[in-house]
Amino acid sequence: MKHKKINYNELAFYLFTIPALILYTCFFIFPVITGIYYSMTDWNGMNRTYNFVGLKNFINIFHDMSFKNAINFNIKYSIMLVLGINAISLALAMLLNTKIKCKTLFRSIYFFPAVLSLITVGLIWNEIYYQVLPFIGNKLGIGFLSKNILSSGKTAIYGILITNLWQGVAVPTILFIAALQSIPADLYEAATLDGASSFQQFRYITIRFLIPILNINFLLTLKSGLMIFDYIVALTDGGPGGATESIGILMYNHAFGDMKFSQSIAESIFIFFIIAAVSIIQFKVQNKMEVSD
Amino acid sequence: MIRLKAKLFKKIILYMLLLAGVLVILFPMYLTIITALKTTEETTKSFFAFPKSFYLGNFSEVIHSSKYFSYVFNSVIITSVSAFIIGIFVPLTAYPLARKMADKKYFKFLYYYIVMGVFIPFQVIMVPAVKNLSRMHLLNRTGLIMMYVTMALCQGIFLCVSYIKSLPKELEEAAKIDGCNTVQTFFLIVFPLMKPMTSTVVILNSLWIWNDFLMPLLVLNKSKASWTLPLFQYNFKSEYTFNYSLAFASFLLAMLPIIILYAFIQRYIISGITNGAVKN
Repeated sequence: MKHKKINYNELAFYLFTIPALILYTCFFIFPVITGIYYSMTDWNGMNRTYNFVGLKNFINIFHDMSFKNAINFNIKYSIMLVLGINAISLALAMLLNTKIKCKTLFRSIYFFPAVLSLITVGLIWNEIYYQVLPFIGNKLGIGFLSKNILSSGKTAIYGILITNLWQGVAVPTILFIAALQSIPADLYEAATLDGASSFQQFRYITIRFLIPILNINFLLTLKSGLMIFDYIVALTDGGPGGATESIGILMYNHAFGDMKFSQSIAESIFIFFIIAAVSIIQFKVQNKMEVSD
Repeated sequence: MIRLKAKLFKKIILYMLLLAGVLVILFPMYLTIITALKTTEETTKSFFAFPKSFYLGNFSEVIHSSKYFSYVFNSVIITSVSAFIIGIFVPLTAYPLARKMADKKYFKFLYYYIVMGVFIPFQVIMVPAVKNLSRMHLLNRTGLIMMYVTMALCQGIFLCVSYIKSLPKELEEAAKIDGCNTVQTFFLIVFPLMKPMTSTVVILNSLWIWNDFLMPLLVLNKSKASWTLPLFQYNFKSEYTFNYSLAFASFLLAMLPIIILYAFIQRYIISGITNGAVKN
């Protein structure tokens, strides 16, 4: 009798994990495996039959001009986004962490864009670029403002970037503030007593405590830059002339519009390797930095 | 005296910078609200002028020409059902993993099996996942909810397992001595103790699910009756490209539920997001 009871309790632990195991296997791991398989076929997503073609799709994507274009776009965009978001949000966090009045009010206003949907924000900015900024530009006689910046292939990327920055700095800022608040105040007091300048204090105390959050912010923004989709749908839809076609857009079009189903999966696997490589490099660099400290 | 002046000067610059930032944030919102409250004629006259009278016709037109309330309902149902399941499944799975990982290989395997998913971006599984869903006839709200719960497992279980490990085991042992079985111990002792971390996981995911556009686009776009707010927003804009007043009214309507919610529970949203990242 006693023996049986213990078994039931042990069994419960196993049963607890069953729903998650089934869901995760069916809706996550199974797509990953079928995805890898399809990436080595020539399936167009519709036909009943398809052939195994090995790594041909992976070789093809490197000869595909639109894929190269998209990679270029994403790299350029991600670098600007990572630098922009982290610089602005760090500066903002330091401003918001000083002794100011209405601290909570400021904080909730600055955080507010984070709760909005990217598609709505993108559409609002689309109207701003289309209507409002040219209006201001014409009134004030500022040449570069008088045109819709989304209408030129050279400047459209900045239109997307500005929209992304407007919304994207909110979460990193809040995280930086939390990190700044975790720094014990007596460290600064001791440093002041030892005659450290405020730059030295920033360099040797603040930055040290910020590194873990900086890492998280770096990875989060990098991922969002490499995967950008919603803003482009709302702002340019890849145009003008394919100038802002990101990998996300390209993959979507290949899979659901252009009947290049298996190729789009090959593209996604390629992106996965880029993100994994960057994460590993960053992890190694961070470890080295901690050791050398 | 000079130091005092310099200090004051610094303060003024600080406030000016902060206010400039506030203006940058609020300007698009201001524009959205005033344009939504103006007739198209008024808007063409001046984009920036404050509305002469609060014209509500745009809102009623958006609501009448679409099924706005049913899209709100869909968003609410999809977000809250997903959040509810996530709030139960994630702690439920994390508990045995955290407590049994050390001595049973199955739990250790399962932990790494699930946490590994953190490194795989959604776009990698998106195309085959949609194909599988359509094969299972799950291109509907149920299928979408299942996808959301699945996507929440990886990070959520990672966070919750490390949280349970930081909780003392003594309470569970005491409960066992008092005759509680595993199910009772979980629901009466562990689940309440996990509330801070569970709420972080639920808040993070709810916010993401509410605003997500890509997954509803893939799963629901063909069945208009089950559109969510972001999907409605996207399709409405493609249909009414040239009517600014209607477009801005739809922006405001699409944002309205989350703005109202934010006004009441912003503290929880902000702390939920910070907890999630700091614990990471």
